[in-house]
Amino acid sequence: MKRSLFWVGLIALVLCVSVAFLTGCAKKAALKETAMAAPGSTPPAAKASPTPSKSSDDAAAREKALRDQAAREKAARDAAAKEAAERAKREAAARAAAILKELQIPDINFDYDKYNLKPLAQSTLKAAAPAYLKYQDYKLVVEGHCDERGTVEYNLALGEKRAVEAAKYLVDLGIAKERIKTISYGKEMPLDKGHDEAAWAKNRRDRFVIFPPVK
Amino acid sequence: MKRLKHLAALSLFLVCLFHSGPAYGKVYIDIDSPAFQKLPIAIADFKPLRSVVAKSDLPVWFADALSRDLLLTGYFNVIDRRAFLEDPGQAGITEEGTRFGDWSTIGAEYLVKGGYQMDDRELVLELRLFDVTKGTLVVGKKYIGKPDDRSRIVRQFANEIILALTGEAGVFDTRIAFVKKGSSAAELYTINFDGSDLRRITHYNSLTLSPRWSPDGRRLAFTSFKDGNPDIYLQDLESGKTEKLVSYSGLNLPGSWSRDGVKLLVTLSREGSPGIYDMTVGNKMLQRLTRESSINVSPVRSPDEKQIAFVSNRNGSPQIYIMDAEGGNVRRLTMEGNYNTSPAWSPKGKKIAYEGSVNGQFKIFAIDEEGGAPRQITFAGGDHESPSWSPDGRYLVYSVRGAGRSRIEIINAGGQNSRPLQEGGDACQSPFWSPRLR
Repeated sequence: MKRSLFWVGLIALVLCVSVAFLTGCAKKAALKETAMAAPGSTPPAAKASPTPSKSSDDAAAREKALRDQAAREKAARDAAAKEAAERAKREAAARAAAILKELQIPDINFDYDKYNLKPLAQSTLKAAAPAYLKYQDYKLVVEGHCDERGTVEYNLALGEKRAVEAAKYLVDLGIAKERIKTISYGKEMPLDKGHDEAAWAKNRRDRFVIFPPVK
Repeated sequence: MKRLKHLAALSLFLVCLFHSGPAYGKVYIDIDSPAFQKLPIAIADFKPLRSVVAKSDLPVWFADALSRDLLLTGYFNVIDRRAFLEDPGQAGITEEGTRFGDWSTIGAEYLVKGGYQMDDRELVLELRLFDVTKGTLVVGKKYIGKPDDRSRIVRQFANEIILALTGEAGVFDTRIAFVKKGSSAAELYTINFDGSDLRRITHYNSLTLSPRWSPDGRRLAFTSFKDGNPDIYLQDLESGKTEKLVSYSGLNLPGSWSRDGVKLLVTLSREGSPGIYDMTVGNKMLQRLTRESSINVSPVRSPDEKQIAFVSNRNGSPQIYIMDAEGGNVRRLTMEGNYNTSPAWSPKGKKIAYEGSVNGQFKIFAIDEEGGAPRQITFAGGDHESPSWSPDGRYLVYSVRGAGRSRIEIINAGGQNSRPLQEGGDACQSPFWSPRLR
């Protein structure tokens, strides 16, 4: 009897110890798993975290999904608007550039110590006038320039005459006087810094600077 | 300028100190005569007024400074000191201490002797000009000033020498305004007649042109594009304060002041064509003088202010014309050449200098105000432009351009003794001579 009690006791002890051992091992393994999951981020950590009640979890997720959806839609709308604005801007710039190109008047050139408009200069201005009649809110500055020969002051006067002649011609073609300004730089701003007839011929010129409407 | 005034007062006070004999019947040398020959002058090394043992380079410095100034005038040949016979140890700085025979032997007609005494705070200079042939004192002055003033005092005495010999003071108390162009801007500068003391007047980083001294020498009128349009400004040189004077649409250029500083001739293109107006500076009232559709520019008053010379192309090419002060009685002055511009009326009257084109190059000419044959003044290579007279009418300053280089040059009105005043930048142009500055 005593002997059988001993065995029962022994078995019980062994069972106890082994249970204690096994559970200890399981705990360790679980710990290890969370520890490993932490740096790896989402799913295992979510599993390991204590789980709240299932129904409230679903509501939050739905809400979040809705929020995300709204944000995504807004971003898309914004992007579209931005793109539209940019496209409009690009188009406006292109339009403005096209207008500027249409209004562009190439330099007209003069003979030495002369300010009368040569036939080529006249046809240049005639060709330019319609665009100025079309785009009424654009203004124009006519710059008169001279070659390097001769007096600073006389050349300033000569450059003014060259600018005024072209301005007058444009006014005669129907462009309002108020839209055209003249300025003379005399011989002070040569296009070509050379000292020969080729350079001088280029420098005896009217340059046309377009001023778009100020918004 | 204040210090100069101080000096002038001192020298006035001390005129009696070295009496140079009666002034009546004085015969001046005619510098402007075509037969004029440079005057041989000797300048002895200066002597300490008190015997000093310490060796100094001041005796030579003073003599050289005065030599340089006198050479600039173009009136003198300065005799090399190595030719001097007089024993400097024995000689004094007065008539009594001078062996005139030693100076006439080496060909000197005039002799300058000077004594100095200088410490940290004060400089005393005694200067005498002798007529070697007669053995007499021509002019003697004593100056008291600061050691830093020594160049200025020497210039002042050079002025006295010119005054004593020619009846009119030299122009050592004048400056020249001009435009120096860089790659992107043209700014105003001023410089002394002798090339010293260059000062920059504008810092606009813009095109600035056509400086015109006011008759009191205190202000400069000029045109600048600094606000976009070529407008006329007026700068007070002492304070640097600048006001915009005229800014009509188109061209605004200053021309010539009236002697009282009340009026300024200007070129404006407010009516379309550049034309000449006389403006009352105080209230900016304009009197229109030309009514042509041609170019009319660069007006300059005659010394008596009854006439105005200007440039017009009314007959096809730019030529010099003269009209009455009210704009009437216009007549053409230059008949030769197809490009005559930049008139400058001699302050002594009668003559008008200008630039004219000869074989494609510009040279300086002078023509009688009644017309007639012009006389060519400059002949050297390059384009010579924008002449302006010294206040004594004895020199012209102008710009030279050629072979990619540019400078301001001064020449005696007779056409001799040209010398560069300032060089550099992309271009030096539009020089304008100041009145005497006091």
